[in-house]
Amino acid sequence: MRKLLSFLKPYRGRIALATLLMAVSAVCDLMLPTLMAGVLDKGVYGAAEADTFGYILKTAGTMLGISLVSLISVGLGYWVVYHVISGYTWSLRSALFRKVHTMTLEEVGRIGTSNLVTRSTHDVGTLNWIVSMLCGNIIIIPLMFAGGVFLCMRKDIRLSLVILCAVPLLIAVVMLMSKKIDRLWEISDEYCDRQNDLVRERLRGIRVIRAFDREKQAHEKVSGATRVMADNIIRANISMAIVDPLAAFVLNTAALLIVFLGGVRMERGSGLTPGDVFAMVQYISIILGAIVSVSFAIVMLPHVRVAARRLRQVTDSTGLEDGRPAAGTVFSGSIDLDDVGFTYPGSSLPALSNVDMHIKAGEWVSVIGGTGSGKTTLADLLIAFRFPTEGAVRFDGHDSRELPPADVRSNVSCSLQKSMLYAGTVAENLRIGNPGATDEELWQALELAQIADFVRDQPAGLDFKLEQAAVNISGGQKQRLSIARAILKDAPIYIFDDSFSALDFITEAKVRRAINEKLTGKTRIVITQRVVSAMHSDRIFVLSDGQLVGSGSHSQLLENCPVYREIYLSQTGGDVS
Amino acid sequence: MKSEKNRNTTEQKKKSRLLDKTGKRLISEMKPLRGWIILSAFICLLLIGCAVAEPELLGSLVNRLYEWTASRTPGLARSLLPGLAVLFGIYTLHSALSYGNSFLLNNIVSRFFCAGFRIRLSEKLRRLPVSYMDKTPTGEIIDRMMDDVSDMADSIYGIVEILLSGFLRMTVIAVILFVTDWRMAIPVVLLSPLSVLLSAKMATMGEKHWDKHFDLGGELTSLAEEAYTNYPATKAFGREEYMQKKYDELSLRHQRSGIFGNFLSSVVQPVIAFADSLAYIAVTVLGGWLIIRRGVPIGTVVTVILFARRFSEPLENIAFGLSYIQHVKSAARRVFALLDLPEESDPSGTVGFQVSGHVELRHVDFSYDPEKPLIKDLNIDVKPGQKVAIVGPTGAGKTTVVNLLMRFYDVCSGQILIDGRDTGELSRSENRRLYSMVLQDTWLFKGTVAENVAYGNPSATREEIENACTSAFCDHFIRRLPQGYDTVISEDSAAVSSGQKQLLTIARALLADRPLLILDEATSNVDTRTELLLQKAMDRLTGGRTCFIIAHRLSTIVNADLILVLKDGRIVEQGTHRSLLGQKGFYYELFRSQYAI
Repeated sequence: MRKLLSFLKPYRGRIALATLLMAVSAVCDLMLPTLMAGVLDKGVYGAAEADTFGYILKTAGTMLGISLVSLISVGLGYWVVYHVISGYTWSLRSALFRKVHTMTLEEVGRIGTSNLVTRSTHDVGTLNWIVSMLCGNIIIIPLMFAGGVFLCMRKDIRLSLVILCAVPLLIAVVMLMSKKIDRLWEISDEYCDRQNDLVRERLRGIRVIRAFDREKQAHEKVSGATRVMADNIIRANISMAIVDPLAAFVLNTAALLIVFLGGVRMERGSGLTPGDVFAMVQYISIILGAIVSVSFAIVMLPHVRVAARRLRQVTDSTGLEDGRPAAGTVFSGSIDLDDVGFTYPGSSLPALSNVDMHIKAGEWVSVIGGTGSGKTTLADLLIAFRFPTEGAVRFDGHDSRELPPADVRSNVSCSLQKSMLYAGTVAENLRIGNPGATDEELWQALELAQIADFVRDQPAGLDFKLEQAAVNISGGQKQRLSIARAILKDAPIYIFDDSFSALDFITEAKVRRAINEKLTGKTRIVITQRVVSAMHSDRIFVLSDGQLVGSGSHSQLLENCPVYREIYLSQTGGDVS
Repeated sequence: MKSEKNRNTTEQKKKSRLLDKTGKRLISEMKPLRGWIILSAFICLLLIGCAVAEPELLGSLVNRLYEWTASRTPGLARSLLPGLAVLFGIYTLHSALSYGNSFLLNNIVSRFFCAGFRIRLSEKLRRLPVSYMDKTPTGEIIDRMMDDVSDMADSIYGIVEILLSGFLRMTVIAVILFVTDWRMAIPVVLLSPLSVLLSAKMATMGEKHWDKHFDLGGELTSLAEEAYTNYPATKAFGREEYMQKKYDELSLRHQRSGIFGNFLSSVVQPVIAFADSLAYIAVTVLGGWLIIRRGVPIGTVVTVILFARRFSEPLENIAFGLSYIQHVKSAARRVFALLDLPEESDPSGTVGFQVSGHVELRHVDFSYDPEKPLIKDLNIDVKPGQKVAIVGPTGAGKTTVVNLLMRFYDVCSGQILIDGRDTGELSRSENRRLYSMVLQDTWLFKGTVAENVAYGNPSATREEIENACTSAFCDHFIRRLPQGYDTVISEDSAAVSSGQKQLLTIARALLADRPLLILDEATSNVDTRTELLLQKAMDRLTGGRTCFIIAHRLSTIVNADLILVLKDGRIVEQGTHRSLLGQKGFYYELFRSQYAI
């Protein structure tokens, strides 16, 4: 928490200013009952004096002035507070975002994308909220408390003891309740999630459910969960509902005590006036109001703790990439994998072992294998997302571990397994690959990727807007845009990781032909599960269970690599030519 | 604590009457809860009684203090005791009653209202056509069932808290103020509404800032989601700074847009407090003058001051409630819209005979979107026991044929006949009961392996389940799971691979044992060994049944009794593998591009 609050440091001055303004307002609010008590007392004792009414008017003027000062200072206070919060939240988000982009792929995977999103939205939001509560509302309570006690003390030290005891007692009660409530909310959230999951499952499986005529059971399951959820929400809400009446009860009882003890003190002749007693009763109701208005914030504290812990997981993460800037080295395109092995942390079995692969500059090779064969791990090694745990990947003889990752990446252009397009126009997406590309170059890349016709058919052309995750185009179109983006980047090495899987075979053949023409002389690595995608390349590497089980041309492999033959047969249903 | 679960929402508020159609319906939906709401209203009345009695009593106690300063007779503290005891009783009652009312309201809202609506919505889902689920994102339906329902339940709090606790209480207090001393009552009653007006004005001012803030917030979340998902691409192209800049800029706009709205919401309370102070000061001046010149007892002034505070208390709630009503109504509108959707028609015809498996599609036309006809004059005649493979490029309408056979969608014109009987006359569940389905998109629900396999035949014995699994080649891997057949699995369970999930769905289809079979072959994401098993399992499943197979595998195509080549919703060619190759037409081309060497 401390570390997260340290983002507030640049705003120290402004926070102090806001606190001061809030304090002024709190003191003003407390002064009103005191002044009014004066008027009442004067009305009784001073009825005979001539200028009594003048005194009352004067006091009223003061009260008006004080109210105005209170309003203005609290207004200014909030104005400052929200500027601070806004800056704070912005810098926290920015820092998180930057941090994520310096993490290794592994670390991002470990925390999980959806978790990272929750952290930079929901969790930052929670922190934003608590900080604004702290600066805006909570800070008033100790001020009011201190002010109230001080004003009471001026009247009668012994009576002030009542407030001095009642308020901490009240806060303790609220805190105690909040612990219990927290657990209840957790449970009710759990049931809420369960209900969500059930509905989601049902909607997703609608075809199977209807095919097997099980709608009635699915409905009963959902409504059962609804009832359980209602029970739990009620339980949590009811426990929370006890806070306010309890707080009111404690402070009202304190007010009664003040009236009674006030009577006792007056009788003993302590100089206490009825107006003083009345003023103290009102302090209590002001403090009560302030506490009740933030009691729900106290209930929220455990949530804040959870949010802070989750944020720290990101800010304190040590799984960072080598951040050296690119040295600008240009590779020739030859790649050597010397006995490469890779084991995921925490895994007992290697994902790749003893892979020895030597790719000459300008060669067109394919890597084929089924799910779990280690293909994607291999791609990650070539883009310096991961590094071999045994052996080495060498570019022009340089170990990838010693090169700045930025250098490797500027020499490798890839079309990734998931197309990974961005919300924005087609042009913006393509220029991710090459920021300086002209419109003509964009069109050329689109032509090569066999997607130019589609873009041309859109009224907006290159400015056709893709939605988030490009949901407004088909899987095949996404892959082709991703291919176009990769071609657009000028690099000695190109990797196409499962980039053709959503294309029909005719289109794939066209794309393959076009790419090969354009990229002749560059190193091309096609990673695939499909025999058709691989069989025309110069050389095919066959991966199975993380091992290289064969390499050579299609016809060579058919003859002497059983795994390749098996894949081939299962995909073609036997030799049917 | 107002809403069932706290939630921020962006809501375009339209100016509309309080009691429009949605408002009226919302109230009529509360009818069954009448008794409870009246009980809660009764408690509110008691609470108002407490709220009224308390300043009276406290005022008289303070008055007693003043009287004492004049007389100085002993026994002051003792004389206060009876009044204090009564007040203590009132405070206790007040706290107990307000807790009781929360208890009651929570039950009304969550148990009767929310749960009731959710169950009705769930019931509704049973009768909606599949096309609705296909068109509507799952998240949207869940939002309606969860958030919208709980937002609309706030209307109950609205009625009880705003109408009863709020307005009624203010009216009663206003009357008492006038009865106590009409001169001091005037400034209190006049100045407090001023603060309502002010705060309402500020709420509307804040609205458009909030809307913008929430919209930008949504954009920011999307951007973060995208950036973290596309992280590898960003890194691979070295565009980290570009993304950072994009994010920072949007985030800055988002934060800036929130300042003013936040500020406005926060100062509503101080502004109300200021208006209160004005009333307070006015009462002080007037009261002082009345005490001196008119000899009004101090206790009266004290009572008025205490009442003045009580008078303004509900104002904030009322102001908030009024501005929140549009939001509640738009939630209600969405829920009602879902409840009112047209339901799927369902004839009651039953099959009532042993189906041999002769399926015929006659002149079938179909489209999802009337603008774009998809299937045009489709004619298929499948003899009992025939294996029909459907092939064609993506978007040709292969999956649509499945949708029509299963009557997830209805044909626009034409007929589908089973053993000569028009399926349009059959009830949908009777129709579906004729088919087993294995889809590429496996669906397993959260439950044990055995429950999942027995999904189509819930009365199956454990032995039958195990037999089906043995035939579908999954028995061996199920036995290796931690709890065997009783292992709990779900859609995203990692314990079972995607190929194994597919095998389970085959076992499920085997156990359901229906005369007709629909198979959408799985192709990708299966390792070679499992793929061979899958193929064998599917062969067992297809044996003797009339089958429709969306074919991806050559072996299926080669062995099929009939191949239908679909292109743009039409059958362009049909025949056996050999005869189609001989035609050297579209099929030949499709086949060549796929497998030519």
